Amino acid sequence: MEFLLELLTEELPASHIRSALEQLEARFRQELEAARVGVASLRALGTPRRLVVTGDLAAGQEDREAVVTGPPRSVGVGPDGAFTAAAKGFARSQGVQESALEVVTTPKGEYLGYRKRSAGTPTPVILAEAVPRILGSLGFPKMMRWGTNPFRFSRPLHGLLCLWDGRPLEVAFAGLRAGGATVGHRVLSPGRIEVSGFADYKDRLAANGVIVAPEERRALILAQVEARLAGLGATVLPDPELLEELTFNVEHPLVVLGGFPESFLSLPLEVLSTAMRKHQKFFSVVRDGKQLAHFLGVADAREDARGFIRTGNERVLRARLEDARFFWDQDRKVPLAERAADLGKVVFQEKLGTYEDKAQRLKKLVSYLCGRLEEAETRDDAVAAAGLAKADLLTDMVREFPSLQGRMGGLYARAEGYPEGVARAVYEHYQPAGLDEESPSSKAGAVLSIADKLDSTVGVLGLGIEVTGSSDPFGLRRNAHGVCKTVLERRLRFSFPHLVDKALAAYGDRLTLGREEVKRATLDFFAGRLRFMLERQGFRYDLVGAALGPGLAEIHDVFLRVQALDSLKVSPQFEPFILMAKRVNNILRDQPRAKFSPELFVEKEERELHSTFAIIEHNASPMIARGDFGRAQAIIFRLQPVLNAFFDSVLVMAPERKLRQNRLGLLQAVQRMLAQIADYSQVVVEGEKPARPAGSR
Amino acid sequence: MSVQDLILGLHRFWAGQGCYLAQTYDLEVGAGTMTPDTFFRVLDRRPWKVGYVQPSRRPTDGRYGENPNRVQKHFQYQVIMKPSPDDIQDVYVRSLASLGISLADHDLRFDEDNWESPTIGAWGVGWQVLLDGLEITQFTYFQQCGGIDLSPVPVEITYGLERLEMFLEQKDDIYDLDWSADVSYRDLRYREEREFSEYNFNAADVGTLRRAFQASEKEAARLTARGLLLPAYDMCLKCSHNFNLLDARGAISVTERVKMIASIRVLVTEIARKYTAVREEE
Repeated sequence: MEFLLELLTEELPASHIRSALEQLEARFRQELEAARVGVASLRALGTPRRLVVTGDLAAGQEDREAVVTGPPRSVGVGPDGAFTAAAKGFARSQGVQESALEVVTTPKGEYLGYRKRSAGTPTPVILAEAVPRILGSLGFPKMMRWGTNPFRFSRPLHGLLCLWDGRPLEVAFAGLRAGGATVGHRVLSPGRIEVSGFADYKDRLAANGVIVAPEERRALILAQVEARLAGLGATVLPDPELLEELTFNVEHPLVVLGGFPESFLSLPLEVLSTAMRKHQKFFSVVRDGKQLAHFLGVADAREDARGFIRTGNERVLRARLEDARFFWDQDRKVPLAERAADLGKVVFQEKLGTYEDKAQRLKKLVSYLCGRLEEAETRDDAVAAAGLAKADLLTDMVREFPSLQGRMGGLYARAEGYPEGVARAVYEHYQPAGLDEESPSSKAGAVLSIADKLDSTVGVLGLGIEVTGSSDPFGLRRNAHGVCKTVLERRLRFSFPHLVDKALAAYGDRLTLGREEVKRATLDFFAGRLRFMLERQGFRYDLVGAALGPGLAEIHDVFLRVQALDSLKVSPQFEPFILMAKRVNNILRDQPRAKFSPELFVEKEERELHSTFAIIEHNASPMIARGDFGRAQAIIFRLQPVLNAFFDSVLVMAPERKLRQNRLGLLQAVQRMLAQIADYSQVVVEGEKPARPAGSR
Repeated sequence: MSVQDLILGLHRFWAGQGCYLAQTYDLEVGAGTMTPDTFFRVLDRRPWKVGYVQPSRRPTDGRYGENPNRVQKHFQYQVIMKPSPDDIQDVYVRSLASLGISLADHDLRFDEDNWESPTIGAWGVGWQVLLDGLEITQFTYFQQCGGIDLSPVPVEITYGLERLEMFLEQKDDIYDLDWSADVSYRDLRYREEREFSEYNFNAADVGTLRRAFQASEKEAARLTARGLLLPAYDMCLKCSHNFNLLDARGAISVTERVKMIASIRVLVTEIARKYTAVREEE
């Protein structure tokens, strides 16, 4: 039977609606399942002003049978086999015939009891009780109170509609009593609407200016966008996030095409799109990848017959663009270098100093990093960019449009005639903004981006500020992801711990924790983030763990290691080899370091192990050094049969100390080489219980 | 319709809603929220309805009279209704209709915007109201003021008069607005914008402003201790304005900025605490 619920609210933020719909669907499914009510279908939908749940549910709970126990058998049944007074009393108190009593066996012994059949509760009764609980459980990032109500919600509540099988269901929530009516669009048709079921609800709302299903509003927007652009031969710059937000901003979408004076096209595209996208929520219109002097806005209306909506939006955009042009012209009057000189007045973080301090640290770091990467020709650009990178924080444009930080600096640097490498590095140094966003495209940009993010991470961790599940106020996760992503994509090879050392040294004595402690915290933090990224790419968690085992000496090596393990995991040699490596680890556990000398070998198998190992090590070492773990691993597989023979025939723990030490020493040498490729003890093979580390996210 | 007609229209409308029409407060403030008719009156439990015009001074927004949209002083029409009526959104929509706006021809939106003023320890939840993309009103359910959780919850409706008037007159330049039938916004305000922009950005004496800030700060603390809360609050408003001027002069570093705002907030929250303590006793 059909269930329909609508909570009428004041305009909810788009992000709150999406979250509420997810919560509603999940909670209803949960409650109905717990109550044993069959769910044929259930969905949540809504608009800025209404959260709606509808579904096809069973008429009532499934019937249930429970055993009710009375007195122990010994008390309830007399020696003659007849029921005693106690048994009769029990039957009476339960309102059942004596004939219904039977002996039931429980863990405590035999008792008298009976099977109580309870008819399932009708679904409406369950819903009347569950609905207020579910609505009351909805959580939002920011909640509010209103009037004299004690309730808290995302925005004030106005009405409750609840129908079961087409008839109003008595439900109350937050002082609202449910009825069978709702209201139409705030402006288009604000009157009361009686409804008899979901189909009727949907149709009547549509007739009264409300498209209640989000996917229908989205489709309407897309269809109208296409229709508006048909005559222009242009397309819209795809922006799924904006489309999603606008879908939840309106009850009745109307796409409006507007224009602005061509002269504004001389502004940088970044500025144009920020003014349109961020402030006015307009889509950009492009032809052949070029911005046109048009925009598409989404209004909450049926039509714009008199053109007021279009001209109004055009006027607002023009004012914004005029402001932007003013900033663009004004900002360029002061050279970036002159602005950079003022960075000493801008605090980066109270204890970590000003942006001038940061700029000085970044210069050192990028210079060092260019040296390590043997990118001498990048060094000048990167160092110059490090000095200018933060200067745009002092421009009016960035003050007005903070999301343009970095990019504005790059644009101003280019306009001022700095070398392209410098301008691009400044422009790109905040990239990547996220794991799915682009990394810097230039070498200097990549180096500066890494330096900036590592500097912030080391500084914040160095003050003892910890990143937890819910708290990452300085965006350190994003920073670490950015560093790792850039390193992996550009295949940069350098010693990460040494770079951390440099970053720490650049802070002098500003940090509150000791350097070793911060270094460890930084390496651990990056290892955790790298693990998250590699697992997100689909690598098996145990292989990621094995690849992280040798440490973060080089970030890129971790990737190469896991890639090698991943490609070899299907090889028939893989599992026997892993088991052998684990055997080596096990026998060596807690053994002090030992040395071996070939002349002490006694058995043929230990000599063979030694000679095979010597050859393999000779060949594999240079491969390991250059990060060719796949080939190194393939060679090392050949150790497995030799080791096998060794374990079969040689008693490692020989009673004679010298012999024992010599054998342990040889195995330790093997183990040291293996450890350079991966920590095989973390690899899970068939038949072993997976030991997924807790909190490996 | 002139600015003057707009003000008269709003006065008439909100008086019709039972609002007392207050007169403009006679100190420089950054927003209508900061005047005593809002700040003190939202703190206690008694119902309160008020409407008034308040000039709002934002020195950094000055553009020497050269920008058609930005001015260092603009006018707000401020409404407080406490407790917030259940139908307040409808009432607000009717206020727009009463100004002759035919909403069926336009796009009216309540767009998420949560307001806060760290200086007076206040925040609220609500929207910016957009009419064809133009922000004409800030609509806020006050949750906290002077660091105190408000109960009942007041709603604050702040119309930007120039914005709304530009919409009504369909004009692109603020200075082209009609204040009355024969006085333009330019006549009234252009010279003021030019001179005050020069004062705010270049001529104001930083030393004098700093001393004035410190003197008002000290006075606020002294008066609060004596229980003279309204005069003490005036001193906080003077601090706030002097801070804004120093900011426009570029004389405040980021750390100093945080510190100065915090010092005003400490004074204001103490005043609010004492004020509510006394009102609760009454």
